[in-house]
Amino acid sequence: MKKHLLSFSAAAAIALGSLTLAGPLPALAQATATAVAPLDLVAPVAEYKIYVSKLTQQFVKDTKAFTDAVKAGDVEKAKALYAPTRVSYEKIEPIAELFSDLDVAIDSRADDHEKAEADPAFGGFHRIEYGLWEKNSTEGLTEYADKLQADVEELNSRIAGLTFPPEKVAGGAAVLMEEVAATKISGEENRYSLKDLWDFQANFDGSRKIFDLFKPLLVNEDEFIAKVNGNFDRVYVILAQYKDGDGFQDYDKLTEADRKVLAGAVNTLAEDLSTLRGKLGLD
Amino acid sequence: MASSPNGSGTKTPQSTPPQASPPSGRLTTLALVGGAVLVIAGGAAFYFASKKAVQPVPDDAVTVTITGKTCDPNDLTVPAGRRTFKIINNSDRTVEWEILDGVMVLEERENIAPGFSSILNARLEAGTYEITCGLLSNPRGRLVVTPSAESTDSARPPLTAFIGPLAEYKVYLALETSALGAAAADLAQAIRDGDIDRARQLYGPARALYRHIEPVAQRFVDLDSAINARADYLDRREADPAFTGFHRLEYGLFDQSSLTGLAPIADKLVADIATLEERLGTLQLQPERMADGANTLLTRVAGSFGSDGEERYSGTDLDSLVATLAGTAKIISLLNPLVVKADPAIAADAQAKLDAATARIEALRTPQGYPRFDALDAGQRAAIADDLRALAEATTRLNAAIGLE
Repeated sequence: MKKHLLSFSAAAAIALGSLTLAGPLPALAQATATAVAPLDLVAPVAEYKIYVSKLTQQFVKDTKAFTDAVKAGDVEKAKALYAPTRVSYEKIEPIAELFSDLDVAIDSRADDHEKAEADPAFGGFHRIEYGLWEKNSTEGLTEYADKLQADVEELNSRIAGLTFPPEKVAGGAAVLMEEVAATKISGEENRYSLKDLWDFQANFDGSRKIFDLFKPLLVNEDEFIAKVNGNFDRVYVILAQYKDGDGFQDYDKLTEADRKVLAGAVNTLAEDLSTLRGKLGLD
Repeated sequence: MASSPNGSGTKTPQSTPPQASPPSGRLTTLALVGGAVLVIAGGAAFYFASKKAVQPVPDDAVTVTITGKTCDPNDLTVPAGRRTFKIINNSDRTVEWEILDGVMVLEERENIAPGFSSILNARLEAGTYEITCGLLSNPRGRLVVTPSAESTDSARPPLTAFIGPLAEYKVYLALETSALGAAAADLAQAIRDGDIDRARQLYGPARALYRHIEPVAQRFVDLDSAINARADYLDRREADPAFTGFHRLEYGLFDQSSLTGLAPIADKLVADIATLEERLGTLQLQPERMADGANTLLTRVAGSFGSDGEERYSGTDLDSLVATLAGTAKIISLLNPLVVKADPAIAADAQAKLDAATARIEALRTPQGYPRFDALDAGQRAAIADDLRALAEATTRLNAAIGLE
């Protein structure tokens, strides 16, 4: 976090402030695919897999502590562990959500189910979140906790065996931003706990990781790289204002003005990063 | 959970007008009240409204309309190749539409707001897929992709098709080499501690890790000689100062039963493995090198079973071979998805040859482990050598099948 802030000069902030954030640069509208040698993509994809694998292992550990707290009936501890546990998952979402059954089991929202919160198929993090914050209780959550832990371990083993599709990796940078732009910005994801800013930070980190891995392969793209970096810096600056200890304040603390700036930057990031696949010859 | 509407959302006339994004705040009842849909739609509209360039929809785009509890049509047949789907959401909830291959998401559009449509482009190979449609409880549809002219060029995959397998192999090499470094360091420590029993125990596992990466590691001539050379190749054999690496340690531990002079050899091994790790980290592997590397290694090991073995002093050739087959299996499994498309018979043959070689060795296993090399009779050795030669040839055909010759 600090690293990004340090690299964010005041001059850049002013220059970016004058840009229209919610529109593509003219240069991006045309296909400017500078040929990237396909085999040059092997190393960044491999490095990304290692990044994801480490986070998945962390996720298994963190989920264990979280579900143990739930099962022990420790509401306060479970609440404290909820958001930090999810961080690993939110960083690796472009890969994690390739497994549709597990993504549903781990991270679906009440809206995805016919009877919403009352639907017996509604499980995973958000079902536990619902119990902890809405009911302020761990009652009836043990089976969801056990299932969540099993699903997270299954995710870890599937990711270990997965050959990462390069187009999903390169496309993942935009996918993360599109998700924030399209729905998460409304606060729908962590509607009971209001821990959305934790997720945002992780989504940005995961997206930027992908961008940083492929960035060195982009030639004659200085303008594109500067713009994307600028917008990442911009969202990090806003998030930093809402830091609270190791985490973040509740989502309802976010001012309308900051939410708009955030939405603008995220939209532009989603738009710009959606060209990354093409620039890398992976469309 | 996924949510990735493409940048191609278009608004249909009956939809709600784009509005400012909803205010932040407590959204607990979001899903429970009627206004919820509008809030989400508003968010999506805000996003879509920011899109200036709308992708043109090709004339042959397949239109799918999501209505309430089903998709229309919910059973689709399209030719293989790059296909465009236009997903129209005529239900009253924000929905998703996904193409699934087993449990894996092939392509998806999520968060299609009521009254909106979204464009999904997918490169589809022949086969039968499931499609999800709106609520998770809704019945899944079926997408049948028939072979077409666009799908018949798969015999020679584009270079981009090798990025995934090569990246996965690079990860495998990195993890195995890292483990090898740690195993060699433990072995060196046991030798420095003067603990010959422990050193003997640690030798085999370390050796196995080198075997895993040998299809590639064998290409670094200087390091392979330092790490893996047998005394036969050296002028003064075991007395040659260039006799270093695993076999020099093996000679001390199992033949001489002495740790004398082994500490510097072990330290050198650790250093050489560190150098190997660096080189593998920056190596850009060509796709044909995977099967070629396996072929070279298997041919060499087959030769050793035809003569007097490679693990001369410990007699652990079968243990070593198990590790070689594990490294080979990794390569075969990574190439398999490409080979299956090009020539399923060749893919099946490689797997069958691998299974046969594995089965023969496993049949020799006792509760005490694999027999020593000198406990095998000539017929058993010849049979193993034949298995390995057959497997080596099968790996060569993998490359041929996918145009890597």
